[in-house]
Amino acid sequence: MDLTQNEKKLLMALGPLGSADPSHLAERLSVPEEAAIQYAHLLQDRGLAIVERNVVKHYVLTDEGRNYARHGLPERQLLENFGESIPMVELTRHPLAKIGIGQMRKKGWIVIRDGMVEKTGKSGPGDDEAALQDPSEGKKGIADLLKRGLLQETEEVSYRIALTPEGTALAAQGVEIREETGTLSRDQIISGGWKELKLRRYNVEKLPRRIYPGKIHPYQRLIEEMRQILLQMGFTEIYGGIVQSAFWNFDALFQPQDHPAREMQDTFYLGEQLCLPPVFEKVRDMHLHGGTTSSTGWGGTWSEQKASQCVLRTHSTSLTIRHLADHPDPPVKAFSISRVYRREAIDPTHLPEFEQLEGIVMDEGVNFSHLLGFLKEFYTRMGFAGVRFRPGYFPYTEPSVEPEVYVPALGWVEMGGAGIFREEVTAPLGLEHPVLAWGLGVSRIAMLRLGLTDLRLLYRSDIEWVRDTPSILPEQIPGGD
Amino acid sequence: MAIITLPYRYLERLTGIDRELIISRLPMLGSDIERIEEDHVDVEFFPNRPDLFSVEGVARALRGFLGKETGLPEYRVNPSGIKFTVDPQLAAIRPFLGSAVIRGVSFDEEAILSVMGLQEALHWAVGRGRSKVAIGIHDLDTVTPPFHYNASERTRKFVPLDYDEELTMEEVLEQHPKGRMYSHIVNNFPRFPLIVDDLGRVLSFPPIINGELTRVTTETRNILLDTTGTDERAVRTAVTIICTAMAESGATIESVEIEGVRWPDLSPSVRYVRTDECNRLLGTGLSPGEMAALLQKMRYGAAPAKEGMVRVEVPCYRSDIMHDWDLFEDVAIAYGYEQFAAGISPTFAIGKPHPVNSIGSLVRQVITGFGFIEVIPFTLSNGEVMFTRMQRPVPDDVLMILHPITEDHTLLRTDLLPLLLEICQLNRHRELPQRIFCVGDVVRGVETSQKAAWMSIHPAADFTEAYAHADAICRELALPFTVRESEDPSFIDGRRGDILVNGKPAGVFGEIHPAVLNAFELEHSVAAMELDLRALPGYPGSPGTP
Repeated sequence: MDLTQNEKKLLMALGPLGSADPSHLAERLSVPEEAAIQYAHLLQDRGLAIVERNVVKHYVLTDEGRNYARHGLPERQLLENFGESIPMVELTRHPLAKIGIGQMRKKGWIVIRDGMVEKTGKSGPGDDEAALQDPSEGKKGIADLLKRGLLQETEEVSYRIALTPEGTALAAQGVEIREETGTLSRDQIISGGWKELKLRRYNVEKLPRRIYPGKIHPYQRLIEEMRQILLQMGFTEIYGGIVQSAFWNFDALFQPQDHPAREMQDTFYLGEQLCLPPVFEKVRDMHLHGGTTSSTGWGGTWSEQKASQCVLRTHSTSLTIRHLADHPDPPVKAFSISRVYRREAIDPTHLPEFEQLEGIVMDEGVNFSHLLGFLKEFYTRMGFAGVRFRPGYFPYTEPSVEPEVYVPALGWVEMGGAGIFREEVTAPLGLEHPVLAWGLGVSRIAMLRLGLTDLRLLYRSDIEWVRDTPSILPEQIPGGD
Repeated sequence: MAIITLPYRYLERLTGIDRELIISRLPMLGSDIERIEEDHVDVEFFPNRPDLFSVEGVARALRGFLGKETGLPEYRVNPSGIKFTVDPQLAAIRPFLGSAVIRGVSFDEEAILSVMGLQEALHWAVGRGRSKVAIGIHDLDTVTPPFHYNASERTRKFVPLDYDEELTMEEVLEQHPKGRMYSHIVNNFPRFPLIVDDLGRVLSFPPIINGELTRVTTETRNILLDTTGTDERAVRTAVTIICTAMAESGATIESVEIEGVRWPDLSPSVRYVRTDECNRLLGTGLSPGEMAALLQKMRYGAAPAKEGMVRVEVPCYRSDIMHDWDLFEDVAIAYGYEQFAAGISPTFAIGKPHPVNSIGSLVRQVITGFGFIEVIPFTLSNGEVMFTRMQRPVPDDVLMILHPITEDHTLLRTDLLPLLLEICQLNRHRELPQRIFCVGDVVRGVETSQKAAWMSIHPAADFTEAYAHADAICRELALPFTVRESEDPSFIDGRRGDILVNGKPAGVFGEIHPAVLNAFELEHSVAAMELDLRALPGYPGSPGTP
């Protein structure tokens, strides 16, 4: 049996006595009385001692009770106030009538007949009146007085600690009491003194204090995971400015200038203007009449002023298209994960800024089947069980496709968009080969992964949530299935 | 988005195909099913396919896609003998007019709702909220041809739809619900567009409202269509889509002569496309015959032509066909997206991270090593948080949003530290100490760059903690730095330092000023630091320039 140091001390103190008060034991052990009782309970749990708990009740008169003890209960005072009978009307005028009349009837001291109150003659002193004079435990009448609020009850608890036969035997046999050591000192370690020490044992069932590590935000981890997948698939990372000209954000992507997405309600415009790059004339011609391709263009007019307005990038395609303009020779495999901006009011699933992932492949001979292949590979690496494809529509791709991934709890979930850049997009930039492109909202995946229903939590962090979200989720182990 | 209601009974009657098959195949034609109800299904079609914004249009496409009736749908147009004049003064206001007569319609309430639904969807997708195109539908038998499209005095009176008294056109813009909604389109013009019959009675005040006179009811048998706008191609698209949808429902179409030109023209346009180009784009191995058959399923007229070409007749309502690749996408849809072998291209390239993001990752690693938790605040912020509470002056080159949605988001952040303090404010009731950090973009002028910042809040946070961490972090980042006393008003005088790299300021650290703590409702002292990552060795030139 592994007794703690304190239990041993208590056992040995009790040994010669058999039983004792905690105060006496506390003195012997030089600990507070509560500590002695606590150790005794531990010994009791091991069957070595019995802790006897005695409760003595004390009664004290309340102010009201003290008053009645001196002058008699209201009903007694009232009874002595009239002869054999009295009209009810008259009696009720007495200040004690309110309590007194009811009690007198209840105790059978009076009857009320035809408006007259008559004494019954059965009005000897009751148990309650006796208890009122001497309120000690066990007296009849105490309960009534407690109910009437004339007495207050207090409990006095006392303990008596006694050894069981097992305890007596163990004490007689004796236990070794050695000082326990909490923290090992440097001296004890290097001198070998530790060999003589008794190290204090800790209870592993008691949870430790909670501490929190420094950590990368769970959303940033997810972004990092996607970066790693795309880097492993041989993609070059793109980084670029938040501010873009409408030219690169819209016109270079063949978004007509009167497209609803370009309106002020949907896009954050800025007061700044930027010079158009030399390629703008080819882009303009493409909008107006299809340039030198088989396209008809959008017709209408095209304004240089509209194209030079600055916007907060509405999609990361504004970065990929510039990357292509700067790198027109194949092959190009590039990606970016960037924050993009939409003029939307905030609610649980809509934010004015969020991360978008975008990947492009430009090479001789790449085609629609390859696009589907890249999508399938990426989503499979992201841990989705199934990927399927539906026709989609995006203004700057043709053909366009909407990938869906299978999520066991939800079924098929739409997961971004993809397509091959239209020739109207690639031709003005001098790109001679097809460009496969896909994009997706990163927060969509974050919601699925982290079980979120409110996107705002990602950006307006509740520190507690970041502290409590594990750094590693099982499906995140690289190379795992 | 255009959500079209498709009643099963009508759709089944038009297609001869049962609803289960239709619902299961619709997504593969290019649509999102929004709701499946007892008697109808609501479907969202893409904005490039306004020809699918009616039950009749969807039925036409489904008959082809599901093999019931393939190839080009042909529409006859007989002359009606009705003429329309156009006032030359409209050239600067709303120059283009399209029209047609539609005879033998049989409207019930549902059919009227369906036509109005198509009209509204076209106003949205093709008409850009009626500014580019507006459509009017009139009971032809209430008016007397020829008709006149005029630029009218703004004080001309007529009874607008849903009213029983005359209003001037100006009053219509001020009082009628539609007038208030669309007045911005015409209000700046000295005269207003107006369509009248030969007796001078008003059919319509485009693009605002029709007259009550020509209201379409269940009794209406013959329709006059007017379509006005600022873009001729868009006007033509709207006219052909409405006419062909009505023809699909059993009506006959007759032409109207507008200034000598016959409207509508419902004949197809012709394109020659290359089979090998299509196969190259899609990764397929189709023969010209196979390709033509697939195009016929999508309701094109298509036949193999010489030298691997396919001759394609594009129906007049397919306004989205701008380029050969648009046809190739339809080949892919007819082929079935689920039939494609998804294989990765052999394109060889070596993955390469961007140095800005590599630096960001390293900085995150270093700062988490000191026990800080990362947060990712918005980049949109406001002057109150960014400058006022920080006791800092507003820099000249802060980037303001022109039309913010809320007072919270009026500018792009120039610093990260204010946002960390704001996040701590939100987390006041959480356990201390709180040690948080952020690495991310900031914007000055039009230029984006990256900063890193951390802060630590607890009763014993002080300058010593700030300096020790700043020093350690800079050493870990291999920054060749020196420190001098700072004058940053966000920090306590005598408890603040500037970090200099090559003699230039690159960061600041210290103990946050109690007035700043008060402004963020924080009750304990804060040690903090912010660092411009452009000072780091290896940070590239100017990757964030637009």
